[in-house]
Amino acid sequence: MNCFEARQEFPALWRKTATAERRSELLAHLKGCEKCDHAFRVFALTAPVLYGKMEQQASQVSRPARREFSLADRPSRFAQASREVSRPNRWLPMAAAAAIFVFATSAAYLSARAPRDSFGDELSAPETSMTSDTTSDPLAPEMPVTESDLAS
Amino acid sequence: MSGRWAGRRAGRRLSDKPDEELITEVLGGHTDAFSELAARHRPRVERLCRRFFSDEEMSRDIAQESFIRAYTALATYRAEMPFGGWLRAIVVNLCYDELRRRRRRPEELVGDFSAPEVQWMQTAHVASPEDLVGEAEERREAYDLAHRLLDTLKPEDRMVMVLKESEDLSVSEIAETLGWSEAKVKIRAFRARQALRKQAERMLAMGRNR
Repeated sequence: MNCFEARQEFPALWRKTATAERRSELLAHLKGCEKCDHAFRVFALTAPVLYGKMEQQASQVSRPARREFSLADRPSRFAQASREVSRPNRWLPMAAAAAIFVFATSAAYLSARAPRDSFGDELSAPETSMTSDTTSDPLAPEMPVTESDLAS
Repeated sequence: MSGRWAGRRAGRRLSDKPDEELITEVLGGHTDAFSELAARHRPRVERLCRRFFSDEEMSRDIAQESFIRAYTALATYRAEMPFGGWLRAIVVNLCYDELRRRRRRPEELVGDFSAPEVQWMQTAHVASPEDLVGEAEERREAYDLAHRLLDTLKPEDRMVMVLKESEDLSVSEIAETLGWSEAKVKIRAFRARQALRKQAERMLAMGRNR
């Protein structure tokens, strides 16, 4: 039995469904393989829930005798849950709050813009920073540099 | 699939009628037939719930609620799929809702272990594999610690782990039960295994160091 086969057999060993032969092979492998032995110990920590029979734990808890199925036996926590469903959607006030927050943030940002973006700055900006429609267009063809440009 | 879900309730003889026949009787007005359906499937349903919740009362409540929802929605049941699979989808969705409702999910294991839990961690580190299997059945703390480990998973990851490992469902069956894509199931299974192994390694190291 190799390591892969051994690990495939872990659930069967835990559930006691492995054949006697496979079981002894697996145990022999675990004895000789440190990695698989460690892997089995890791496996054993979750195995009681994932691979256990799950009956014994129930028997350890005192519980009333089972009754016949009845709609009247609805658990109280679910009765409350069904009432919650009929309430107005709780996402609505959250969405409204988010919208108000976005609006307030935008307003705060616009009112606190950098001074150079004010109308006065815009008027006093040097002409070089003013751009024509063509120069602002990134797709417009680049104009060749002329001698008069170099002179200025 | 329905065979695995069929059971015999202690102290009460169940008829050999197939599920579909009982369902027809219920829909025809013989509502008592549903008691038999519930009795037949209750052990399996409660067992599944116990894999999600260590609280016995919670498991029983979810099982009971599952039967109530199955009863009220029985007219929508189609015989193309086994009743057991249909009922399991109801149970699983209820468990999923409850796991999400709790929201409090410890990302990491909290170190406040009881003395028996610490003892079990040490046992897991030193006992022989055979002894581990035998002792786990006897010790409540083994069950509690396993639940604590699984509690660290996201609800989606936990659903996949339980359905795949405990219920032996295939990826396509899980995808159908949860209404997810198969790719999502595979990713969740991969992440869940990784996360669980990481936490279990930590727990094993705790047992070694104490």
